Amino acid sequence: MITCDEFLAEFGDYLENRVSPEVLKELELHLSQCRSCHVLYDSTRQTVQIVTDSGSFELPQNVSESMIDQVMAKLRAERA
Amino acid sequence: MSFLPEVDLGDEFQPFATLDEVRGSIPKLLRAQSLLPRVIEGHAILEKAVRLDRGVISREQKERILLCIAAARHDTYCAGLARNALRLLGEPDYRIDGLLDDHSRIDLPVVEVALLDFCLKTALHSLSVSSSDIERLHQHGIADEAIIEAAVTAALAIYRCTLSVGLHPEPDGEPWKLPPTREGSLPEPAAHISTRKRPQAGPYVRAPYLSPQRFAPFEKVANSHGFIPNFFRAQTLRPDLLSAEVELVTLVLLPEDVLTRTQKETILLAVSAANLNSYCVAIHCNLLRGLGVSADEGEQIALDHHRSSLPDADKALLDFAIKLGSKFPEFSLDDVTRLRAVGFADQQILECEVVTALNNFANALQMGLGIEHDFEPPLAFEQKKANLCAALDRRTTEDSSISSVTVQVEDSDAELTAQAQAGSLDAFEELMRRHSRLVYRALAAILGDPDQAQDAMQDVMLSAYEHVAGFQARSKFSTWLLSIARNKAIEYLRKRKNEISLDEAPFREDQVFRPRELRAWVDNPEQAYSRLEIQQLIEKGIMALPAKYRIVVMLRDIEQLPIEETARQLDLSVPTVKVRLLRGRLMLREWLAPHFAAGSRRAAQ
Repeated sequence: MITCDEFLAEFGDYLENRVSPEVLKELELHLSQCRSCHVLYDSTRQTVQIVTDSGSFELPQNVSESMIDQVMAKLRAERA
Repeated sequence: MSFLPEVDLGDEFQPFATLDEVRGSIPKLLRAQSLLPRVIEGHAILEKAVRLDRGVISREQKERILLCIAAARHDTYCAGLARNALRLLGEPDYRIDGLLDDHSRIDLPVVEVALLDFCLKTALHSLSVSSSDIERLHQHGIADEAIIEAAVTAALAIYRCTLSVGLHPEPDGEPWKLPPTREGSLPEPAAHISTRKRPQAGPYVRAPYLSPQRFAPFEKVANSHGFIPNFFRAQTLRPDLLSAEVELVTLVLLPEDVLTRTQKETILLAVSAANLNSYCVAIHCNLLRGLGVSADEGEQIALDHHRSSLPDADKALLDFAIKLGSKFPEFSLDDVTRLRAVGFADQQILECEVVTALNNFANALQMGLGIEHDFEPPLAFEQKKANLCAALDRRTTEDSSISSVTVQVEDSDAELTAQAQAGSLDAFEELMRRHSRLVYRALAAILGDPDQAQDAMQDVMLSAYEHVAGFQARSKFSTWLLSIARNKAIEYLRKRKNEISLDEAPFREDQVFRPRELRAWVDNPEQAYSRLEIQQLIEKGIMALPAKYRIVVMLRDIEQLPIEETARQLDLSVPTVKVRLLRGRLMLREWLAPHFAAGSRRAAQ
């Protein structure tokens, strides 16, 4: 079985589904045997999910609308 | 006379001794590289591993592959080289002549004919190799180990032939003439290249996992390239051949005593592009970014280096390499003379030829084995390639049409952009509404301050309006807009005198990150919190990340851009983005763990 360091070396690609079938087999075997890597994988996957679903850094609709309105008013005034 | 001068290295020179099977039989092709002994060393290592060391395929069989490929390229020198080797192995002349006449008509076993056909296709029409070719070999009972060895032999043939065109060595032994070869026995490339993005799904052969910690060549590649390309991962069934290839790459590409690494990477990029090899274009665009060449410049070199901002001498160098690597029948001594005239020394010309040969080795092998992409190739290049293939299909193969193919990236904003460029304020306004979120997030990430991001946004929009007329549709509008946002944010940071660097650390990111918090998380941890609480938690966590991780996480996980797009936006290589993304995610994980781990205050309720 591969070591934890070898698992970590492929971990980023694994989260992104970018590993070959042969590597995938090794990683999944490791995960089934190693508790700490399993916890790491599971919680990192959840982290990505939570971050993605959080809708963070959403500029409130009214703020962005009024900002665009301001800029456009300025540009239209220059044009006129 | 050979095109480049030689120096006497003596027959005791180690790489010569390796190949000197019969005293005094060192090929002139190797002697012709004597201005740069390290490249001879690399070449000798490859020859030894592929040809002389015991493999799965017999030596005779491999020499026959080398002979047939050289003959098909009308390369008298290389055909003579393989012919001499076959005669030494006891092959009678009538069989050699028969082989040159038509290999399917002499009494070769069916299996060998199949392998030979595969090699010819890999070497001469690599774009048309597909999984069905490999299936046919499997049906003949040929093992993957042998298929790799055959493909590497075909690639070696191309390596030799490229060098023989560039160096023009004297024949070895008595003069001999190549009989006129039969034409038309191989499929025309255009008939097989479809305009589909990936005509064939690789990989074609098994590639068991090989650990970089236990296989030294992989460690070497990880250090020099920042990652292990699939090109190498796909050949793990043959560590012997892999080791030789890595040594060759190390000896040819890494030293900077003659040409710089950047010059060599541009040669690899430009010649791969001329050979329409998307895999290699993608990889060299990324490696160039790692060397500080912007994404735009790299893509321009792939599309048409004449329009890049390279110095004129380097453009001439690329003209030379492209002719040698991709239009070799036109290559002559005049090309060497021209490079000398723009100031290149013979040693540099030699290295350029060797890099071109290495490129063609890699291009052929990648296509032959159907090695899967590491990264998406640049969109603009893929579209140019599709146009070219379509043009080839229509048989309008005038060279001029090739360089004048206009490239425009498909973009759902294209129509609005055109209107905005023509002066429509309404169109411009709509574009701003579409992308304000993206711009805001990028600004917030780089500035590390959502309030300041709002201030900067106005500047970005004004600047975009000012420059929109000059926007060229070689990239997407959003990409262009984001680059304005990025520059604006960096300008703000300079004003704050809070210098940060988003730059690339050459090929080596920080060491492995050690997770600290290893308690398991509860199921559906976010259910214990309100949406607003989660948002605040995430925003705080992301803002606490170092800038170089923050921007990558923001673009990939919040804005959900693909990794390739994130890398392009930031002028970083994909491997660098991957390392930073993982690091950022792991840091966020540590930040969230106290809230979501089993036994933590709220999650436990």
